[in-house]
Amino acid sequence: MPVRTLTAALIVAAVVAAPGAQSMTKPGAPESFRANGQILGVAGGAASAIHIQIDKYTSDADHRALADALKQGGNEAFVAALRKAPKIGSLKVGNRSVAIHWAREQAQGGGRRIAVATAEPVFFAGAGAVDAKPTAGYDVAVAEFTVDSTGLGKGSMAPAAKVKAGGPTGVEIEDYSGKKIELVTVSRNLPGK
Amino acid sequence: MTAMIVVWGVSVGHPSAQGKPRKQTAPETFSARLSVGAQEGRGDAYVTIRVDRYSAPKDIDLMEKALKEGGSAAFAVALKRAPIVGHIEAGNKSFSIRWAREKPSDTGRVISLVVDSPVYFVGGGVPGAKSREGFDTAVVQLTMDSSGLGEGRMAAAAKVKPGGATGVDIEAYDAEPVKLTSVKRQIS
Repeated sequence: MPVRTLTAALIVAAVVAAPGAQSMTKPGAPESFRANGQILGVAGGAASAIHIQIDKYTSDADHRALADALKQGGNEAFVAALRKAPKIGSLKVGNRSVAIHWAREQAQGGGRRIAVATAEPVFFAGAGAVDAKPTAGYDVAVAEFTVDSTGLGKGSMAPAAKVKAGGPTGVEIEDYSGKKIELVTVSRNLPGK
Repeated sequence: MTAMIVVWGVSVGHPSAQGKPRKQTAPETFSARLSVGAQEGRGDAYVTIRVDRYSAPKDIDLMEKALKEGGSAAFAVALKRAPIVGHIEAGNKSFSIRWAREKPSDTGRVISLVVDSPVYFVGGGVPGAKSREGFDTAVVQLTMDSSGLGEGRMAAAAKVKPGGATGVDIEAYDAEPVKLTSVKRQIS
């Protein structure tokens, strides 16, 4: 079972961002981003347009509660806590929209690193295969990306994932497909778009 | 899938061009680009279709009889018992063709193929996707011109049912139509 660590996301997840650092990263929420998602397989590839709306970022207190749930109760407790957390945005692929329950940003260089999680999977990449593995347990989706000071960037996404305690940072993300979905040409939408 | 059903329902006669030097028939191989587009995005894959021979009339008769008398389930059983007459290859996966027919057209040929298992459940990765039960086959139709170029479509997971004007109806699982573009007969 391949375990893919979204290194950057873990860093964001593991860090309780200092208020001073976040204040440097204007503009913050509410904000929205669009990205092109791409995944390549042996036989071909797929692409989709993704829209991420962040109404606000998760507070330090709510973030700590989620981290504690994961540490103490594993994926099951984490998913339960995530579902109880307030909806703070949405992740939309085509006409499927899923609520975001966790979002963090961290200053990086002249830009920001942003990570979001939903409390349900967005889609199971590769699950249409005849011999696809069971989808049970892959209850969340995680996306992370960087944007520079102009609002342009790139990232990756696990559209159906399990979150586990472990690894160097204390958090590991295992996505269903075992393949990374690249978020290319991420761009921050202009206000009002 | 009207055209596909028409092809299915028509008995194949001997091509009038038989004996001419450029007659194209099995064994033959086609390459194609498989595309599916939906609101959620777009996917592309490359497939190779190899037809070793076209199905014998007696095998076709057995499968048609099973469909007529026993419906989808009996057809699926009869299909699996029929001889393998070719393969569809996508990536590192290979699927067996057990029904293959060709029909001459004004500009070339129309080829219909049935695979003894589904190839892919298009839309099956969406949470809450519909049940896959009964979608036990895949159906391909190629429309080829005399130079060996063409296009086609595929029901990547299909249920073959009795009914319709020709006695055969095909229900596709696919959320969106699967198109085969840039179909090319390989020069051997």
